[in-house]
Amino acid sequence: MTTLIVLSVIDIVLLIAGLAFYLFVVGSQLTRVATNLEECNEIVATVVTNASVIERGVEQINHTGGVIAGALPLLYGMAEGIVVGATYQPGEVVERGPARPASGRRRSRLHDGVGYAPGAGAARRPEPEPQIPA
Amino acid sequence: MTAMSVLALTSTQRSLWWGAVIGGFVVVLAVAALLTILVLLVRTIDRRVVMIRDTLQQAASNTADTALIAETATRVEAVLAEGLEHHLFLGRVLGKVRS
Repeated sequence: MTTLIVLSVIDIVLLIAGLAFYLFVVGSQLTRVATNLEECNEIVATVVTNASVIERGVEQINHTGGVIAGALPLLYGMAEGIVVGATYQPGEVVERGPARPASGRRRSRLHDGVGYAPGAGAARRPEPEPQIPA
Repeated sequence: MTAMSVLALTSTQRSLWWGAVIGGFVVVLAVAALLTILVLLVRTIDRRVVMIRDTLQQAASNTADTALIAETATRVEAVLAEGLEHHLFLGRVLGKVRS
């Protein structure tokens, strides 16, 4: 009889103590989870704030980049025209033959020294040098 | 009627009481097992939430410089304006070079 009463009391105490212990543990864990989730909420709000700028800015960049990409062919077409107009155009190069020596009959100065001029018909005396009186 | 005679139980009542006590222990063990599972699951949730928080912090740090996108858009607009200036310049020079 006494054993049954004691076992019943132990049974009830174990049930209550076990429930209290586990509820305390789960409660502390859930409190930590709630704190972390609040941090997550704040971080998500920060990310949303940061990301709100992206769409507008990227759309503007895409629009401007498209305009630039469309204008660049016109620009480099004009630049090519300038390059073609300003580049030096050399004239046609005349093809020259190889350099040859001035060969042929050369006039001898020995004949001139003695007053002989072949082909002139007569020998010419050289002009006497003026004598300087002593 | 004495106290002993009041608490005297029949064998059926004693058997039922023993059954209730044993059933209570079984219930206590079952509750302990279920609450242990609950604690383990909540611990898993806690770890995953910490991982999510860390990932979100990385995402926040990655998107912290998105304010520069507007500045980049402004600079690209400046590039476009400068390109228009180049267009006007080349349009002026091209006629002179061709003539």
